[in-house]
Amino acid sequence: MDPAQLVKILSDETPRRKTPIPQVVASFIARDFKIWWTYKFWITLDISGILIFVATYYLFSLITSPQQIQEAGYVAGGYFTFALIGIAFQQYVFFAVQSINMSVREEQWNGTMETVLSSATDFKAFLLGETCFYFIISSAFLFISFSVGYLLGASFYVSVTSLLSALVLSALLIASHMAIGVLSAGIIMKTKQGNPLTWAFSWMTQLVSGVFYPLKLLPWYLEWVGRIFPLTYSLDGIRLCLQACQDLTSSAVFSNVASLIVFIIVATPISLYVFKIGYDAARRDGSLGQY
Amino acid sequence: MNVDELIELFREDTLRLTSGVTHVWAVFWANLKMFLTYRTWVVTETLSTVASIAMYSFMGLQVDAGRITAAGYGNVDWLAFALVGVATANYLWMCISRISHTMQHEVSEGTLEPIISSMIRMRSYIVGQSIRGFLVSAYFMVGALLIGLYVLRVALIVNLGTLVSFVAILFMMIASYLGIGIMAAGIILVYKKGDPLTFLMASVTEFLGGVLFPLKYLQDYPVLWWLAWLMPYTYALDAARAVLLTGATLISLNVLGDLAILGIYAVVFIPVGLWVFRWGCDRIRYEGTVATY
Repeated sequence: MDPAQLVKILSDETPRRKTPIPQVVASFIARDFKIWWTYKFWITLDISGILIFVATYYLFSLITSPQQIQEAGYVAGGYFTFALIGIAFQQYVFFAVQSINMSVREEQWNGTMETVLSSATDFKAFLLGETCFYFIISSAFLFISFSVGYLLGASFYVSVTSLLSALVLSALLIASHMAIGVLSAGIIMKTKQGNPLTWAFSWMTQLVSGVFYPLKLLPWYLEWVGRIFPLTYSLDGIRLCLQACQDLTSSAVFSNVASLIVFIIVATPISLYVFKIGYDAARRDGSLGQY
Repeated sequence: MNVDELIELFREDTLRLTSGVTHVWAVFWANLKMFLTYRTWVVTETLSTVASIAMYSFMGLQVDAGRITAAGYGNVDWLAFALVGVATANYLWMCISRISHTMQHEVSEGTLEPIISSMIRMRSYIVGQSIRGFLVSAYFMVGALLIGLYVLRVALIVNLGTLVSFVAILFMMIASYLGIGIMAAGIILVYKKGDPLTFLMASVTEFLGGVLFPLKYLQDYPVLWWLAWLMPYTYALDAARAVLLTGATLISLNVLGDLAILGIYAVVFIPVGLWVFRWGCDRIRYEGTVATY
């Protein structure tokens, strides 16, 4: 073989076929699903964990009084429905945010990060694909939580408009937490340590976002801290829709929607900026693939 | 050089100058030093413990106190009831999962082979690791109880008699689960996974043990009720609540009964756990998979 000929062939510019971003994202979702499906034992454990958690709060609800829940405006369903919504959505966002971090960490840990980035795939498409996949899986777990809760006696007071409003609030919940996920992924890129952030996010939201109790039970300073987190507005809005049949025309629900939109408008550029700093710094240091 | 002479030289048993106690101390001290370098973890876990106790205190504001009394726990506050449950359950699983978690860590980091090939006996290694785990877990448990007692003014009965009884209950609780922890470690050695299973067991134990609600509410579900009383933790929690909520001591019949049952579990499970662990060690040595993950 003529080496000069070989060099010439290898030097040829391969035309880049621009794959549409939705197709790239769909490929990542399919890839992640195939990998996820091989860990059936983990899936079983995750589902068992959800069942046990919901069952625990069902039994806990039997010793509670519905007074505070009703005073907070959630008129139907009592404590169990209140806690079910809180637990299901808190787990939903925590699982999704943690999973985004984990996927970045795993790519670094397994040494596949550089392989992914040296391909023609844009990193933003990679991150979007990973995020979408984990939100899809989280949605499945959310559905399981609600189904188990319904079987155990959770009851809702809804209309078509209140259900649609709850869907709008859920979409805003996802958008706001995508920003948090991207922010922590950016920090992980540089520091290689992300757990403290997700961990703080988890216990802070459990404490101050009204997952297990109405916000009115908190002292004013913790209630104020709770207003930093988008989960607080999402839970209040979703509960008002599902437990009090309110919709976007109600001032309380609308105010929650407005707060979430403000959070998304402020947090998304900041998180993308932090991510860019982390990503560029890791590329500059040559530590993108390092663990 | 005479090869036979060289082989004979290597075969010679080197005199072991250190006792098992020195080995245990060495493992414990080395691991404690390593643990103390994880300052962020210690700080975050401490804050997390404080936050979770605060969270339970707010949850307690929604509980109908009459239902706890009607369930046979006397005139106690739900927070006191839950605090004993949460503190003991967390202590138990931090202790037990520590053994399997450490083993998983050693396997994945590739440090198990140097340990096995060193002069440290695996028994001493496990004991040293466990003591470290017990102390670290005790820090969080005592912290949670102190916050409850002095910050939230939870009505726990604390005097010399109840303290001694509580420590005895903790000891027996750990002994009754130790076999399961060692068994999990042995399984991890062979199958290289198993940590998630201990996590699931922790959730099941908290649920069936009645950490957040009186066990009476499980009576409507005969299978769950039966499973709850099959777990050693249920007896440990029953005794701990009798001691810290009603002032019972080791001379109380119900506490003694619970301790006797925990003793039976310890006598049955520890030898089984050690047998499984030995089987795991022998098998990975035989298969040559000590360093693989």
